[in-house]
Amino acid sequence: MALEAFFLPANPGQRFALLHWPDSACEPSGAVVYVPPFAEELNKSRRMAALQAQAMADAGYAVLQIDLLGCGDSSGDFVDASWEAWLADVQLACAWVQQRTSTPLWLWGHRTGCLLANEAANRMHCPVDLLFWQPVLVGKQYLQQFLRLRLAAELAGGDSRGVMEALRQQLRQGQPVEIAGYMLSATLADGLERAELLLPHRSGRVEWIEISSRADASLSPAGVARLTQWQAAGQEVRSTVVNGPAFWQTSEISECNALLQASLLAMQRVPAA
Amino acid sequence: MDIAGEVVSVLDEVLSLNGRAKDFSLDTPLLGALPELDSMAVVALITGLEERFGFCVDDDEIDGSVFGSLASLVDFVTHKLSS
Repeated sequence: MALEAFFLPANPGQRFALLHWPDSACEPSGAVVYVPPFAEELNKSRRMAALQAQAMADAGYAVLQIDLLGCGDSSGDFVDASWEAWLADVQLACAWVQQRTSTPLWLWGHRTGCLLANEAANRMHCPVDLLFWQPVLVGKQYLQQFLRLRLAAELAGGDSRGVMEALRQQLRQGQPVEIAGYMLSATLADGLERAELLLPHRSGRVEWIEISSRADASLSPAGVARLTQWQAAGQEVRSTVVNGPAFWQTSEISECNALLQASLLAMQRVPAA
Repeated sequence: MDIAGEVVSVLDEVLSLNGRAKDFSLDTPLLGALPELDSMAVVALITGLEERFGFCVDDDEIDGSVFGSLASLVDFVTHKLSS
């Protein structure tokens, strides 16, 4: 496997990207663009994303990882990021990888990355397969959990009353708020709040994987409801539940080997006729 | 349902305690005493409890006293389940 790190020219500035290319002389069996999760979840899941990208490349896939605007080594600060700019970055990454290879395209999203991947796929004029890791279904709910980080930080001080309302007020007035070291702009909060995992319009298939710490776990009730709805609408979608830690939020950086295997199996499945 | 046992299992998982939470007693102090319980862990703990027990926590129910000890956390969950 060949690993190449480079900057992708973008507007504004540039985006840091990592390309994992399979060793084989043949054309890759698929191209994958990774769409990362939000803020600290991105940092916590870097290791798993790297392991999965390597495993995919070893299995013959070309994988592009990109740091979105204001994240990692890309241009801008977090406060400069917006939902629309991130969607443009995902589309930029897809266009770049599709210039390198004409094999079928996968968008691999994690958490809020699934919201971005799904919307980016809807906007593209080609079929895209989707791999989801523990998808966030409703951006509004996720924003509430993110804002709660600030509330939680104030708990120890004892004066936490009204913290959430004050944050929302600030955002409504168009001002950024600082949450867990991240300066969240009103624009990004608004875009996230409006995002929802709706039925893919133009996609190929959806492989939906949830991770649970319980060995006997089944798919989350919210996941079941969404998948049933999509299947009824004719969308090809399959779900898998694997046993492992919630590595995107655990205190220590953790791994989930079952997920690495399950993702490859899901991608290599023969699509239904 | 063994509410205390379920709460301990969510705590152990969210804080990556590797089984240490099983040794907690009801008066074990949590917030401010357990270094693993940072703000990200508090939010993950709330989400974990919501998912495990199927209730919904409002913003104004989140108070430092809830996370003071294992006993106060178990009381909170018991109250949520009965309301």
